Amino acid sequence: MIIQARGLRREYGDTVALQGLDIEIEAGGVVGILGPNGAGKTTFVETLEGLREPTSGSVSVLGMDPTTQGKALRERLGVQLQKTALPTELTVREMLELFASFYASALPSDSILEKVDLVPQADQKAATLSGGQQQRLVVGIALIHDPELVILDEPTTGLDPKARRDLHGVIRELREQGRTILLTTHYIEEAEHLCDRVIMIRDGEIVADGTPFDLVGQSSESSTIWIRVDGPMDPAPLVAAGVEELGQQGEHHKFTTTDPTTTVLALGDMLRSQGLRLVDLRLKRPTLEDVYLELMGDVPEDLAEVPR
Amino acid sequence: MSRALRGLGPLTRAYLLQSFRSGTAIFWNLVFPMVWLFLFGFVFYRGNPSLMMPGLFTITLISGAFFGVSYLMVSEREAGILRLYRVTPVSALTVVLANAIRAMVVLSISVGAQASVGWLVFRYEVTGSLVLTFFIMLLGGAAFVPLGMFVGSVAEDMRSAPAISNLLFFPLVFGSGAALPAFMLPGWLQSVMRMIPSSYLVEALQGVMLRGYGLAQLAGPIAVLLLTLVVGAWVNSRLFRWETSEPLDKRAMLTAIVVLTLLYVAAAMLAPAFEMIRPPGAP
Repeated sequence: MIIQARGLRREYGDTVALQGLDIEIEAGGVVGILGPNGAGKTTFVETLEGLREPTSGSVSVLGMDPTTQGKALRERLGVQLQKTALPTELTVREMLELFASFYASALPSDSILEKVDLVPQADQKAATLSGGQQQRLVVGIALIHDPELVILDEPTTGLDPKARRDLHGVIRELREQGRTILLTTHYIEEAEHLCDRVIMIRDGEIVADGTPFDLVGQSSESSTIWIRVDGPMDPAPLVAAGVEELGQQGEHHKFTTTDPTTTVLALGDMLRSQGLRLVDLRLKRPTLEDVYLELMGDVPEDLAEVPR
Repeated sequence: MSRALRGLGPLTRAYLLQSFRSGTAIFWNLVFPMVWLFLFGFVFYRGNPSLMMPGLFTITLISGAFFGVSYLMVSEREAGILRLYRVTPVSALTVVLANAIRAMVVLSISVGAQASVGWLVFRYEVTGSLVLTFFIMLLGGAAFVPLGMFVGSVAEDMRSAPAISNLLFFPLVFGSGAALPAFMLPGWLQSVMRMIPSSYLVEALQGVMLRGYGLAQLAGPIAVLLLTLVVGAWVNSRLFRWETSEPLDKRAMLTAIVVLTLLYVAAAMLAPAFEMIRPPGAP
């Protein structure tokens, strides 16, 4: 177990940021912490990094206590912080070399420059880099000592789609090298496409945990079915099977169902008994976004950040 | 290098590179001391340039230590650059020492430039040992840099850092005989002067540069500066904060203030009268 949290609770005055989280994460793969602003994502990862102490509960990262064994832990942990800044007067290469000097062993800065695609910018000062380049540099700094575990706090927030895709490439490469990546995000499609496991948190509590595939399957949200047949159709048998009829959309009949598997079977029976041929069938399952909205539904869009 | 100080060399180098590349740093560390030099040389001390140098060096050391050091520390912390260091194995001691070494190097350059340009333009004289003069300047820098770092650790943000720095800067400069000759100050201020750290630097520098005193004759002010350095170094090891949200060690802060106050009360009561309150030429 590379990360283990038991009853992890953190309060800031009257605000409870984490209400007793139990999380176990095994080595390998990309784990996404998904939740709205103020859900406790940053508090959680900064507790793992030893930047904040839990009010109660325990946490172990790479078998170490982040509060008391921070130094030893940081030799093996790579961290990209959400709120940070780079010294403006240093070049990209100088910065990588500076950070390399803090570790017992580090990769050559050239290999990091290649990994985060900053070779052409190596001798540019941080102040002249674009937002996406700065973010890649911060991630590069987190990787300089070839850490076993990498924690990225909203690595793609504020990046344009191209920069975001580039960073996803870096994360996938790390995953292929057998590293463990824990990232927070509020981009659902990022969690869906990048993560092997998604942990959704809301108000400091876990509300869902699983692979994106499983989470979608567990959803109670209904699927939508469109069918087109070659003659007049009586949908009564489908309605009898619990399917809700939503009328016509063009030449398609539209239905919603919470149980698409049974519905498709009932549809087959109905077509055979009415002597109809199926021209077109479309099925839309709920997405991770639907699951997310179902779980977070009444959370205000821009909840104020938890005080630090 | 031992593990506790790993990265000290590269971090110091990075700090120095930043200072040398920053236009504002060059202005405050090189141009500003020249402004003081020429203001003093051409306006206030016309005809007697040797008299002005000890006070000038003191002003340069104080302004460098307070404005240079405290601003850099606070802005680096406020921007979140220190957080970036915090998630690596680099130690707080390394960051504090790298800041201190950077400050000492930059101060040496400021004072060195002031000393050389001042000599070229005004041809001031140094009566005593140049080595001792150099040593006292270094000691003065080493005593004031921790005080500047103290401000840097205590100040919450870039709004309070200038306020605190100015609050300390003015008495240190105008209450010490650094800006105005001590013998011209009113009697009550001459008494207050004995409670102000920079007075001891002016007294020591004047002793060696104007009166040709040796180490033994300057032992008193040198001891006061050394003790200031020790207390300042201790309190900085306790007060350093990676982030403003970290609690300030108020007990260490108060201890340092009390110890420094006691030190200067004792110095004011025990030390013989400053020689600098006598007008030049008086017996």
